[in-house]
Amino acid sequence: MIRFLLQGLLRDKSRSLLPVIVVTAGVMLTVWLHAYINGFMGDIIDTNARFSNGHLKVMSKAYADNMDEFPNDLALLDADSMTAVLGKEFPSVSWAQRIRFGGLLDAPDKNGETKAQGPVFGIGLDLLSPGSEEIERLNLKKSLRSGSLPREHFEALISDDFAKKLRVNPGDKVTLISSAMDGSVAIYNFVASGTVSFGSEVLDRGTIIADITDVREALNMPDASGEILGFFKGGYYDDELALSDAGSFNAVHKSAGEFAPVMRSLSQQGNMDQYVKLSSVYASYIAIIFMVAMSLVLWNAGLLGGLRRYGEIGLRLAMGEEKGHVYRTMLTESVVIGLTGSVTGTIIGLFFAWLLQKYGIDMSGIMKGTSIMIPSVVRAHITTPDFYLGFIPGLISTVTGTALSGIGIYKRQTARLFKELEV
Amino acid sequence: MRLAIKLAIRNLIGAGLRTWLNVIVLSFSFVVIIWIKGVMAGWDHQAKKDMSDFEIGSGQYWHSGYDPYDPFSLLDNHAPVPEGFRAGVAEGSIEPELIVQGTLYPGGRLQSVIIRGIDPDQKILKIPTGKLDAATDAIPAVIGSIMAKNLKASAGDRIMLRWRDAHGTFDATDIVIEGIFSSNVPSAEAGQIYIPLERLRKMMSMPGEATLFTFSSSFSPETAPEGWVLRTRKELTSSIDEMIKMKSTGQSILYGVLLLLAMLAIFDTQVLSIFRRQKEIGTYIALGYTRHQVVGLFTVEGTMYAVLAAILSAAYGLPFLTWQARAGWSIPIDTSEFGIAMAKTLYPVYSAGLVVTTVLAVMIVTAVVSYWPSRRIAKMSPTDALRGKLQ
Amino acid sequence: MKRLLYLILLAAYPGPPCFPQPDPAEILKKVENNISSENRVFESTMIIHGARTSRTMTSRTYSVGDKQAFTEYLSPARDLGTKMLKLNNQLWIYSPSSDRTIEISGNMLRQSVMGSDLSYEDMMDDRKLTEIYNSRLTGTETVDNRKVYVLELTANVPDVAYYSRKIWVDAERFVPLKEELFAKSGQLLKRMTMSDVKYIDGRWFPESAIYKDILKQGGGTEFRITVIKFNQKIPDYIFSKAALKQ
Repeated sequence: MIRFLLQGLLRDKSRSLLPVIVVTAGVMLTVWLHAYINGFMGDIIDTNARFSNGHLKVMSKAYADNMDEFPNDLALLDADSMTAVLGKEFPSVSWAQRIRFGGLLDAPDKNGETKAQGPVFGIGLDLLSPGSEEIERLNLKKSLRSGSLPREHFEALISDDFAKKLRVNPGDKVTLISSAMDGSVAIYNFVASGTVSFGSEVLDRGTIIADITDVREALNMPDASGEILGFFKGGYYDDELALSDAGSFNAVHKSAGEFAPVMRSLSQQGNMDQYVKLSSVYASYIAIIFMVAMSLVLWNAGLLGGLRRYGEIGLRLAMGEEKGHVYRTMLTESVVIGLTGSVTGTIIGLFFAWLLQKYGIDMSGIMKGTSIMIPSVVRAHITTPDFYLGFIPGLISTVTGTALSGIGIYKRQTARLFKELEV
Repeated sequence: MRLAIKLAIRNLIGAGLRTWLNVIVLSFSFVVIIWIKGVMAGWDHQAKKDMSDFEIGSGQYWHSGYDPYDPFSLLDNHAPVPEGFRAGVAEGSIEPELIVQGTLYPGGRLQSVIIRGIDPDQKILKIPTGKLDAATDAIPAVIGSIMAKNLKASAGDRIMLRWRDAHGTFDATDIVIEGIFSSNVPSAEAGQIYIPLERLRKMMSMPGEATLFTFSSSFSPETAPEGWVLRTRKELTSSIDEMIKMKSTGQSILYGVLLLLAMLAIFDTQVLSIFRRQKEIGTYIALGYTRHQVVGLFTVEGTMYAVLAAILSAAYGLPFLTWQARAGWSIPIDTSEFGIAMAKTLYPVYSAGLVVTTVLAVMIVTAVVSYWPSRRIAKMSPTDALRGKLQ
Repeated sequence: MKRLLYLILLAAYPGPPCFPQPDPAEILKKVENNISSENRVFESTMIIHGARTSRTMTSRTYSVGDKQAFTEYLSPARDLGTKMLKLNNQLWIYSPSSDRTIEISGNMLRQSVMGSDLSYEDMMDDRKLTEIYNSRLTGTETVDNRKVYVLELTANVPDVAYYSRKIWVDAERFVPLKEELFAKSGQLLKRMTMSDVKYIDGRWFPESAIYKDILKQGGGTEFRITVIKFNQKIPDYIFSKAALKQ
């Protein structure tokens, strides 16, 4: 029976092709849009995670209490083994050690005397080891304005505006004056390998980015890290997962010590909690509105499909086919169409969403001159619902539409069929 | 043309459910687009209003060296109230603020803060400075809710504040939290404490000095006096413009997809109706219509969806949108401590321009989509069409 | 002759013979005579009790009067060769690892010296206490089983870091045994306790001191002089920027 119906569908393009195209297109749009909204709403979370909060962050308890002041004297010791442990305990998270610090950056003239000086905010992260994801994470390649990324030790990146203020060019020496982990004064030379600009006023005013081994050396923090940031390997923040990871970690490391490690999810840091909630609420509102609209469209398509075959059904009834049988075959056909459309639509929608997730749409042209730290590249974010969401309008609405239009079959009177069929 | 419209309406109403589904979807586009755009405009309006209310008034004059991002520079950048501002200060249309750096010691911890001296009687900002008029041996202070959360402080708490006066002499005494306000403006709350201006001037040994001036709408800004820089409201709120621009750009994809969806439905309907009504088309031509007129007829019929949708939108959208504008869209979470200037309840703002352009844009798109499948009619052979033969 | 004897007696007793009430300025002067000197060379140990660990640094300092001082750090290894030069109201620090000489000015002066409870500013103020404070003797007490005069100092110039101080001075040796620094409001900010008073080269000198920032958490900074020599010949070149790089 099914085979007979399938053959019918395959041979009669008007019965199959257009409805399938419509369902496919609708489902594709639903899936794609949902992924897009998720990505779009997640942009601020994403930027925040990359630059400061991570999806998860491990710090010493004392450091966590004063996180905003980057108290490196309270940093985690044995950071490498801690990172290895984390890697084992949370294999789906990629861990990166960071040291954030404040200080002064001093640019010498040719006699070694101070030429210019300014307050600086620094990030030490893994720039040099092969396969480090940090360069990608901070989008350093695209943020580079002059010079090059650090290739060897003692090289650092400086914000472009800051470099101009200090009259520093790539290749010049700069001296960092900061406070070492033990509190003593730290004076350390870097070579500015290049300048960067992130489009964020706070970061572009005075930032230095250097490899973490150099920063450890500079601040006398052997095998210590202020923060160990965790990023879900999927690339996107999942609040539930982050909270449960943090909860289980903290339960295990519940030692009372002030310097014992604690884990905080992104939403447990600063004011990110509200934004995380808002974005999920907003994304679901949009998804609901859209699903309702989509269902109506596909319902309509189902109705149209039924009408399209008005003549055919009349003929079938005239030939003595039972009304119930006709109705059932129509429903079965619509299930086939709905499924086919939903599957292809989901696949195509996911494909486009994946493209948008991977490559993004660069809106920097539109966003010229922006001073807030928002990524100028809009990306989609594929989540689990994207794999089944499309079936709700795709299958259910299509079948409902057909079911409703099919009721008409029962209203038709055999006596009038031949008159209708007279062409 | 009138006939065409009459016919179109009759045809559409006759099609029943199918028409209404199309119209509902299309009307969704109308309402959602206008609503979201309204929310964005409302957010823009409100964020700027909040900033005006709690931070910048109708604009500010900054001491030429004032740099909100460099707290260390605060001690060097202040000056006596310029002659030209005296009258305004006296009548309250321009309020001086003295801004210095200090250190709070909440429970033995150490936290750098920006101390803002502000006139308790000021009327320009909505910060509850009236509460600073308290009789206390400590320094009365009001703080924002973000600051209160960071300090884990509540009203009535005392916290040790240490600062250095103009000569570098240390001073330290307790502040007492007289009030906590919630402003939706993080920059007015995070890391800031507000204390009476005269008290701060005395504490700092900076009599009559100010770091910046905030003026009200009744003040007409002129060129800044020597050593001061005028910062207009527009300049000071430009970050909101950027935020909104970014969000709007991202949202426009949403409108596009929604519209595309509606067009999919209309296109599908049009294709079917042209396919099913060949006999009718043939009849029109036999009656002397040119093919283009028939194409026009079908295009008008398609476009009528947009007209009906607009009417339907008005029927349920108007009350909905008006209600929204009055009651606001309450985000079902607490956003008081958001990183971005955003109120808990957003009141959408719809401009006539917004409504007209949305309606026109949707109409034009609908017309194009209706015309597209109708072009086939022009290629039909009228005799075959009359016979109802499939073409 | 009788008159002459009376004069001698008068000169020998600083105050009325019935109840000796010393002049507070005089006490401070005697303290300064003990503490400051034309020049000196000393080696010292500084133990900084941080929130987490304690850290010990040793250094050698050369100073002439109150205006010139040169310190070189001897340990720990990381700080070996770090030098600090103070000339009048300028301060430079030299770090051998970066081979840079950096002037500490502006806001950096308010930072703590090598993570201790002292700020560079505390170190920089080289005016005599008697120049910038009015002093008042408020009584006598006993500190470490020694009789002390309690002095209250109030600033008579506006540009001082601490508006008032309270100093407990050994009544016989004229060495401060305790000092408290106050904010304008009267809030206690820092406390110093001196001990190990030794008689060196004709003067009494405290060899240990503990500094504590009252508002800050932490165990304070201990300062101990291990070797001190007064009236040494210090070559002039030591007090030049060139000496920093050597």
